[in-house]
Amino acid sequence: MLSAQASVLKRDVISTRDFDKSFADEINRLVENSLIKCMDCGTCSSGCPSGRRTAMRIRQLVRLARLGYKPMLSMVDLWMCTTCYRCFDRCPRKVNITDAIIFIRNKAFKEGYALPKHIKVAQLVIDYGHAVPINNEIRALRKELGLPELPPTVHSFPDALKEVQKILSITKFNELANQQSKFSQ
Amino acid sequence: MGMEAIVETKPVEEDKPRIGVFVCHCGVNIAAVIDPKKLAEYAATLPNVVVAKDYTYMCSKPGQQLIIDSIKQYNLNRVVIAACSPRLHEPTFRKCLASAGLNPYLLEMANIREHCTWVHTHEPDVAFEKAKKIVELAVTRANLLEPLEEQEVSVIQRIMVIGGGIAGLFAALAAANAGFEVYLVELSPTIGGRMAQLDKTFPTLDCSKCVLTPIMNEAAAHPNIKLFTYTEVVDVQGSIGNFKVKLRKKPRYVDPSKCTACGICAEKCPVKVPNEFDMGLSMRKAIYLPFPQAVPTVYLIDPEHCLYLTKRDPKTGKPICGVCQRFCPAGAINFDEKPEEIEVDVGAIIIATGFDVFDPREKPEYGYGKYPNVITSLEFERILCATGPTGGKILCPPDWKKEPKRIVFIHCIGSRDETVNAPFCSRVCCMYTAKQAILYKERVPDGEAYVFYIDVRAAGKGFEEFYRRAVEEYGITYIRGKVSEIIKDPVRDTLVVRAEDTLTGKIVEVEADLVVLAVGMRPRKSTLELAKILKLPLSADGFLQELHMKLYPVQTAVDGVYICGCAQSPKDIPDSIAQAVAAAGYAMSLLSQGKVRTIGNVAEVNEDLCSGCGICEATCAFGAISLETKVVEGREVRRAKVDVLRCKGCGACAAACPAGAIKAKHFTDDQLLSMIRALFVGPSEALKAIKVAAPPIKAS
Repeated sequence: MLSAQASVLKRDVISTRDFDKSFADEINRLVENSLIKCMDCGTCSSGCPSGRRTAMRIRQLVRLARLGYKPMLSMVDLWMCTTCYRCFDRCPRKVNITDAIIFIRNKAFKEGYALPKHIKVAQLVIDYGHAVPINNEIRALRKELGLPELPPTVHSFPDALKEVQKILSITKFNELANQQSKFSQ
Repeated sequence: MGMEAIVETKPVEEDKPRIGVFVCHCGVNIAAVIDPKKLAEYAATLPNVVVAKDYTYMCSKPGQQLIIDSIKQYNLNRVVIAACSPRLHEPTFRKCLASAGLNPYLLEMANIREHCTWVHTHEPDVAFEKAKKIVELAVTRANLLEPLEEQEVSVIQRIMVIGGGIAGLFAALAAANAGFEVYLVELSPTIGGRMAQLDKTFPTLDCSKCVLTPIMNEAAAHPNIKLFTYTEVVDVQGSIGNFKVKLRKKPRYVDPSKCTACGICAEKCPVKVPNEFDMGLSMRKAIYLPFPQAVPTVYLIDPEHCLYLTKRDPKTGKPICGVCQRFCPAGAINFDEKPEEIEVDVGAIIIATGFDVFDPREKPEYGYGKYPNVITSLEFERILCATGPTGGKILCPPDWKKEPKRIVFIHCIGSRDETVNAPFCSRVCCMYTAKQAILYKERVPDGEAYVFYIDVRAAGKGFEEFYRRAVEEYGITYIRGKVSEIIKDPVRDTLVVRAEDTLTGKIVEVEADLVVLAVGMRPRKSTLELAKILKLPLSADGFLQELHMKLYPVQTAVDGVYICGCAQSPKDIPDSIAQAVAAAGYAMSLLSQGKVRTIGNVAEVNEDLCSGCGICEATCAFGAISLETKVVEGREVRRAKVDVLRCKGCGACAAACPAGAIKAKHFTDDQLLSMIRALFVGPSEALKAIKVAAPPIKAS
């Protein structure tokens, strides 16, 4: 399923029907109007540690966002960025690429384009207050190092976990996390 | 203004303003939005307006004649022209007034085009109301205009050219050949500039030195050119036509009249230092000739490194070394030489101080300074050059043993890059990279050359053809993508250049023996210091700012000071020469006039109110105000003094003066405040509020 979605870029034609200027404008605005400064030089993609291992080309994502190509929300490539900020660091035009990707991801997530694994992680946050909750292995490791088995986080304070869950509920994180991923359909 | 007593204006009958208002249609620029006839009819009802007319083009000859005739017919003594910005046609109409026998400063422009019809094209009713207001305000001010005097000052018949590179040389020669006396001042020990460092030039592959050195010799030998090398400009006083320039000639410690440039001194000198002419890629001695064709061909001693000048024997206290002096057959060495201060008077100054190159250490991802085989394009130019560190053989630094079999050129290092404060294009890098890649392929035919680019900008005569030759004839591989990093492969001990080929979307890695960074241009530090001395403004890119980007590209905010070459903006050799000769043309035109006229609307100091605090001096952007020491009632006091030749009438001093001691003529408080008042209470009431009546008008 994933590979079928990932091939969106490889469609033969992208049409102006797919261009949504308001989408481009919104992302541009969110990154202090820096998106529009891109000159397609490719510094971002050539330095991208993820791009050397995946088909993701960060420059092409920026390009699609500039075109207002909203179908990019369903691209798996969007999730290949590790948000290391190297592209932003090296960009000669100071395009805040990484933040743009995060804003685009937020939109994608809201529209149901969340990877099933991301939804699982979100569930973990809701259930345990941790994206990576403690397990037996880590308990043992902590004990070996002379640390308490549980770290001084919500793991140690069940009341605090309830508070975290309340915040997640008020911010409607629950709703997002409970959605059905369009990728797994 | 507070609660001041208001004295009604009672002008004497013959001094009573008689104003003519002339409304221009500007074709459809104004007339398509508002009705000029109606506006003129309204203007006729305003205080002291005797006549109001409209016409299609006031700036045209019949339009101007209409104004002249009306001035005579109605005995007008003030004129309001409702048209475009004064920036455009104020000079036209001032001349028009003068030819009708009226002082040209009795003109007021009401800008109903840029300020009204252009910005309110789609709301004609609002535009008409606004146009009425603009004319009301103009008429109000016109009531208070005063005739102003202009002065004439003679121009010193001598031009100073600062900078002896290709631009400065051509500016100096152009003026000298036309018969003008030229002082050519060069900071470094030789003229020739950056061009002397280049191997060949694009797009013809001319040998740079072969075409340059005859020009250098011609300038040095020219009877009208006096050469000051190794000389810096310390101070400039005065203004257009009459600059007093203070120069400091640094000591060479070698007598130019005796030195035969035999070179024995350098042979014997024990001190080796990096050679700046070779960008530090080779060594020179502490006594040296910058390069074989240097002009003047005179050795000099580098005082920072010379043992005689820097070290003393701890026991005897005597200088150590001095070997050059012992061996010089001409007895030319003079360790006692001191810097010499020279004061000269010139009528015009041309600045041709050139550029520096970007220091790629600011972009650490390219490893410059860390990997010896990552070099700048100017360093590569020295490697290509027969007088360079390798005698023109292409070899890799630092040991000069290996011939690079794969070379990578990277465009836009320090250009089009906001992270290093350089959003601009340096204009020459695309072409010099193509040239360097071609020269590489000519000398290493079995080598591979890669060029990484963002866009190839080949807009110049023969440039596109030259670039295509690099691709088609020499087989140089151009890859569209900016390199993000250069890393060292730890296993193979080679440089890996990493980029995206943006045309295929593939990440490309090139193992390179030598990487050349096409560094962009930067303003020279010495130029920035000169700009401070001359109070010249800089553009956003840090280069010297021209007066107008299109119309006045060699003039500056300081009259009589002209700029050319890369001091103004990055450019190639032909463009530098064209601009240099243009600058010389303007300087000569100033000298040929023999005299300069001041403007009438200058600042005026009321010495009775001036406390000599100096705030105005610090405020003035044109260096037009200085403080004079005077004796008043037996006490020494300081008073502000305006240099009317430098003053542009901007009014900054008048606004800054805490004592209200400076009056900006033609933009007096009364004139400006009356306009603001007129906005609220109308022109008649506003004029009543003025305390003092306008002085009598006399036809100039």
